[in-house]
Amino acid sequence: MNEDAVVKVALVSCGSEYAGVHGELTSVAESVNAKLVYPEIEIDILDDIGKDFGIEAASPDLCLMMARAKAVVEGLSDVDGVFITSCFRCAEAAIVRNEIRRYINKHSDLPVISYSFTERTTAATLLTRMEALTTIARRRHLLAREKQSGLTAGIDSGSTTTKAVIMRDNEIIGSGWVPTIKVIDSATEAFNQALEEAGVKQEDIQAIGTTGYGRFLIGKHFGAKLIQEEITVNSKGAVYLADTQKGHATVIDIGGMDNKAISVDDGIPGMFTMGGICAGASGRFLDMTAKRLGVDITELGALAVKGMEQNVDMNSYCIVFGIQSLVNSLAKGSTPEDVAAAACHSVVEQIFEQQLQEVDVKEPLILVGGSSLIEGVPKALGELLKINVLVPPNSHLIGAVGSALLASGYVEE
Amino acid sequence: MAKVIIYPTNSLILSDLVQRFGHTPLAMMEKIKEKVTTVGVDSPPMNITAEEPKHGLKYAAVEVPAGVRGRMAIVGPMIEEAEAGIIVGESPMAFGCMGCARTNELTKYLIRSREMPLLELEFPKDDDEGQEFVYRIAEFLKSLDEVKGESEEATE
Amino acid sequence: MAEENNDVITKLVVTSSDSVLPIDAAMKVYESSTDIVIKETCFGTMVTGPREAVNKVVKEIVDLDKNHIFVKERGFPPGDDRRCRASRGGGSRPGFYFLKEEAMMLPMIGKALDKYDEHVPLKEIEHKKKLGVKDLQDIVESSL
Repeated sequence: MNEDAVVKVALVSCGSEYAGVHGELTSVAESVNAKLVYPEIEIDILDDIGKDFGIEAASPDLCLMMARAKAVVEGLSDVDGVFITSCFRCAEAAIVRNEIRRYINKHSDLPVISYSFTERTTAATLLTRMEALTTIARRRHLLAREKQSGLTAGIDSGSTTTKAVIMRDNEIIGSGWVPTIKVIDSATEAFNQALEEAGVKQEDIQAIGTTGYGRFLIGKHFGAKLIQEEITVNSKGAVYLADTQKGHATVIDIGGMDNKAISVDDGIPGMFTMGGICAGASGRFLDMTAKRLGVDITELGALAVKGMEQNVDMNSYCIVFGIQSLVNSLAKGSTPEDVAAAACHSVVEQIFEQQLQEVDVKEPLILVGGSSLIEGVPKALGELLKINVLVPPNSHLIGAVGSALLASGYVEE
Repeated sequence: MAKVIIYPTNSLILSDLVQRFGHTPLAMMEKIKEKVTTVGVDSPPMNITAEEPKHGLKYAAVEVPAGVRGRMAIVGPMIEEAEAGIIVGESPMAFGCMGCARTNELTKYLIRSREMPLLELEFPKDDDEGQEFVYRIAEFLKSLDEVKGESEEATE
Repeated sequence: MAEENNDVITKLVVTSSDSVLPIDAAMKVYESSTDIVIKETCFGTMVTGPREAVNKVVKEIVDLDKNHIFVKERGFPPGDDRRCRASRGGGSRPGFYFLKEEAMMLPMIGKALDKYDEHVPLKEIEHKKKLGVKDLQDIVESSL
């Protein structure tokens, strides 16, 4: 597919026109040069769709979603990706939406996003998701890249920290990691750290890739060849670092402000979800716990692995009330180790409840992002899912490594 | 002449029969027309914005999905305006404004809760049922004239 | 602009008549007012124009065979970009399927309206009830 071509995204939805979010969906699609299309269906299939697909939904619009999903899978509708969406808090729609997502993923290689909206959902909320969907359709050849070549840099301007790496001939030769204060200043600092460690000059870099919240700003500032959202970049970075580029993998990225759960096939995201409503499910929760315990964030993990989360009563995931529970536990005599373990468990459990239902977890499970370095987090996740959690080396640099790897696609061009 | 809310709210047959027997159907189509011809609102396809689900809070709580509340913002005022109602069950699938089962449950409930003449029946499957369907609707609509006539006399 | 819009309506006329074809309905419109635009679709004729003119011409069409021509108002004007399958990327309008199902019932409704006009007494129909547990038990036992 041509980079400039309009990406056709099948909209398989229920309720969006009546929730007042339809205009937002249309505008976010336009902003990434995509067009929403409504898959054509054979009208007669509606009579039996409940039994054909298998869910006898009471809502006709959900039946229509199933019919449209079938049309996409059977190729009646020529599309490049699928956006499945329905009202938040509708149980019937959640069942149908999840099964449609699985169905399309199983029977086609189209990228799929699943999302539940409220009337407050805006185009800005959906931008990263839609950008990822169109990237997967448009840049499949680039995402197929498995080795870094030449001398490239990747900068990940995250909400909490900014990471930079320099790579040469498939090796990381320098890295930088600084808190994000001013987007460009922090990126420059991280980049300079990486350049210094690598012993190279900025003008020698053949291609720069940027990702993260600040990707557009720093991309423009540094003249990046690749400016890319973090879903495709991070899944690429994760399978590269974990050396699992072929076959299935699941990537969980716990960031400073939001999380991604991505189901990856041969290094390309198939289904993914992003959470960003609750700070209780982010690295920020762990940061605050460390502060309340009076330890550095780098020490929290070692504490957590020695503790037992069961010893602490937590009655909320909330960053305010949950932390309050932890403080109360300390007052009642809980050990800092138990409290640290409970904090890790709380973050992981919320991710499990709110996000892992939206993707199919297939091994290997690769945990990345700054929070993966807090040993209590992979331990809690492994215990919860009863599977081995893989934390690759340099897991916190995931976005920067993914960017440097993908940017090297522009070196040869 | 009475204002009669019909269910399914977009039915050709019911809208036609109500009109044919001299009453005013309260149907979705007219409300959608009001929406789509509202000048100055640009929220395609139906000019329903995030405001409608908020207006819908009058009929359903915030924990009810936005799509239900958005639809209720349109159908709710119709129910309040109605002087009589006809609810037809066993309907073929209808999408869009009639596409949500939860909205439909609430719509029927709110119609039933109004103290007003109400006819409930099912879509016919053969000619005999068709005859019964039309006769019952016709008689119901005619009876509205009588009821209305009486109440108008009473107020005089 | 707003006032003008409010005054313009679209009605959908669905014919289910042996004697009147959709084209006859269309001809009726062509003969009448110049303010009116019509569009023929799979299931009927859409008549758009000022409210009074539309109501007048629709009544004339219905009078051609009153029990077999049906009318409802339509929310969107014909070919509106927001609903047109060409511009909105395919897929039939949400109202299409139900309209199709209702259109298939129209001969039945038309016949019933004829009978009503002719004061044909209503046939008593026995509506099937659910089988009683006792009856079901009898059937089970008899098939053992």
